Amino acid sequence: MEFYTNALQNVLTLWPIAAMVGATLLGVFIGALPGLNPVMAIALLLPLTYSMDPLVALAMVAGIYNGSMYGGAIPAILLRIPGTPASIATTFDGYPMADKGEAGKALKIACWSSAMGGIASAIALMTVGPLLARVTLYFGPAEYFWIAIFGMASVGVMVGSDPIKGIMAAVLGLLIGTIGIDSLSGQARFTFGQTWLLGGLDLIVVLVGLYALPPVLQLAEKCDLKGLSAAQLKLTNVPFKPGELKGLLPTWLRASSIGIAVGILPGAGGNIAAFLSYNAAKKASEDPGSFGKGNPQGVAAAECGNNADNAASMIPALSLGIPGNVVAALVLSALTIHGLQPGPQLFHQNPVLVGGFMMEMLITSLLIFLLGGTVATRVFAQFQRLPGVLLVPSILILMCVGVYVINGRPVDLWVMLLAGIAGYFLEKVNVPLAPVILGMILGPMAEQSVRRALLISRGDATELLTRPLSATLAMATVLVIAWPLIKVIRDRNRKKREAGHR
Amino acid sequence: MKMKTAFVGLTTVIALSLPAQAEYPERPIELTIPAGAGGGTDTSARKLAILLEEALGTSIAILNVGGGGGSVGASQFMQSKNDGYSLFATWNSPLTTVPQVQNVAYSLDSFTPIASTSETAYTLCVKSVFPAENGQGFLDELASNPGKYTYGNDGIGGTMQLAAERIFQANKIDAIPIPFGGAGETLQNFLGGHVDIYGGSISTVLPYVENGEAKCLLVTSAADVPALPQASGLEALGMADKETLLWRAILGPKDLDPAIVKKLSDVIETAVNDPGYVEFLKTKGEVPNVVKGPDLGARLQAEFDALAEVSKGLGLSQ
Repeated sequence: MEFYTNALQNVLTLWPIAAMVGATLLGVFIGALPGLNPVMAIALLLPLTYSMDPLVALAMVAGIYNGSMYGGAIPAILLRIPGTPASIATTFDGYPMADKGEAGKALKIACWSSAMGGIASAIALMTVGPLLARVTLYFGPAEYFWIAIFGMASVGVMVGSDPIKGIMAAVLGLLIGTIGIDSLSGQARFTFGQTWLLGGLDLIVVLVGLYALPPVLQLAEKCDLKGLSAAQLKLTNVPFKPGELKGLLPTWLRASSIGIAVGILPGAGGNIAAFLSYNAAKKASEDPGSFGKGNPQGVAAAECGNNADNAASMIPALSLGIPGNVVAALVLSALTIHGLQPGPQLFHQNPVLVGGFMMEMLITSLLIFLLGGTVATRVFAQFQRLPGVLLVPSILILMCVGVYVINGRPVDLWVMLLAGIAGYFLEKVNVPLAPVILGMILGPMAEQSVRRALLISRGDATELLTRPLSATLAMATVLVIAWPLIKVIRDRNRKKREAGHR
Repeated sequence: MKMKTAFVGLTTVIALSLPAQAEYPERPIELTIPAGAGGGTDTSARKLAILLEEALGTSIAILNVGGGGGSVGASQFMQSKNDGYSLFATWNSPLTTVPQVQNVAYSLDSFTPIASTSETAYTLCVKSVFPAENGQGFLDELASNPGKYTYGNDGIGGTMQLAAERIFQANKIDAIPIPFGGAGETLQNFLGGHVDIYGGSISTVLPYVENGEAKCLLVTSAADVPALPQASGLEALGMADKETLLWRAILGPKDLDPAIVKKLSDVIETAVNDPGYVEFLKTKGEVPNVVKGPDLGARLQAEFDALAEVSKGLGLSQ
């Protein structure tokens, strides 16, 4: 306990607090702009902080990271444009809510859920995390393969009304994911001699094109000259039904647990956490049909899930020295700059700094309540009041800038444009877009893991199933896939029985 | 008024009758890094850029061009103007390793070597129960058990793998390479027992050497590494010529003015030896190492030729 009170004393001083407030706002802003992402922002800012007090530098990391995860929800809800890959699942119900005139309510739920997820995750980081970290080492390539397959099984919920089209979309994503250098053989695949394709298509470039361009084109189609009136936005009077908030509690609990579990595993990310949380919320719901049509539970699950990934992803980094994602790697490099050595001894080396960073992850999550709920949401929601003729070109410019700075190469703009055109037509023929992105994320993960596992087992495929953990994960996957079938059979049997009684 | 200023400026230039380069740099420099923001090359280049900005009195804009193990950035950079305002901060792999396994548009001749900045060795480590206690014992155990051990590395055909294979080939060792996304991922799989041998950067595995979980028995540098007392350098094993390091350098486009190269390499040498930068390098397990101009070109060529040999032996070459 002394560990945290000491740390807290150091965190609650002028500069760390100022840094947390500023960075959280900046993070919300970065998250809200399609293309800009927290990794880039932190990578650009961190070198400037080398000479600063490390707690100030880490406060900025915490604020940007947590703020951006929430920020991504703002355009996802208002414009159906996910600000970050992790906020795709937020569009499923967030935009339909906005469409019904409940934008303010959706933003509030997203804000509270993000804060809840972040708080739960920070508490996990401060308590059980370091104990669990060691367990993650048992996850080898075989286990990661099953996690990827498990994630793909959740495609089922986002295929919408036409499963065949959903599966087609997922396969398209898998195909796109194979472009570039195969990391296990070193051979280039589907690059057609183009150097810029060697690294594969950038997930964020495709995401921005696929997701942001079609809604922008649709806005342009409407040729809207007026924009929404303040009354239509209904930002202040959010009608919550009695018991509705209480109803969100189990969703938060579920999504937080999923987000933390995904976060603690190095390599799995917030986007997977959001999809899995959404999936779980839909499965647990008594009215799964209402998901995708503006169910607040969907927004809560997705936003809580992706924020719960954040602090948890620091667990393997801080307790083992293994960064699970780029942000964690940047935090580690910030710590080493200040003379700390990441690894099991880190907690003893400088408890004030490590504890302080954990506190900052917690405090910045709390700040989302404050800043996200009032300042940021109000400011950003005003964008929706801009008439289409202004909104469309502004979004287009922001998209292009965001996409260009990722890799600094103009060709990415063409990729974005192509993806956007593809997205526009796919939507016209009712092909869902989320499975494309999910395929792009999970395809390479599944492929690389299974091939690594087979390299290690010298080609013996049974090893994928004979390890205790891999067997458990495989069974869970089979259950998830078979669940609808089991349900159908059970219903049919029940009907038969009822018919027999008559 | 404007005309007058321009005229005065012009006459000054003529009067001093100096070539434009003498006042180099007179505008911002663009520094291309062939990796995404946040990686090892990126952080060390950004830190160095801050020092160079001060020394050169101009600002340095950083452009991250990731992908293809650095080859995308290198290909893009080779097309920039050789006026000294486009520089390239890279690690050795895109120049000497990647061309062995990929068809790339550039060769070593597409660049003007300016100066190397820092270097570090790779290490090979095993769990504490491994039946060997030093470098020679490690190589003997591997040689007498062909195909038994797996080693994690930073990527197929990457510098780390080639550094290890260079040593393995010389000792007739057959170990199974398992490529991972980076040293962190390799460490995770090594600690979890999914691979037998850790192959990667020293700083990543160091905490586990200190707590006794891992023992590092070999480094890929000729000299021993003080941080890893149990590890043998290649010179001690009689293989000094098999040294392969991870090192970083700054280059320009082809046919860069020698006067600019001279100026930049001197400024870089001073910046790299700045106590703050040396301290920074230490946290990453690197040491300053400045090889300038044509000597750097020779170093690149020698490494390229040696790695071509190794990758041919592995059947990786294009």
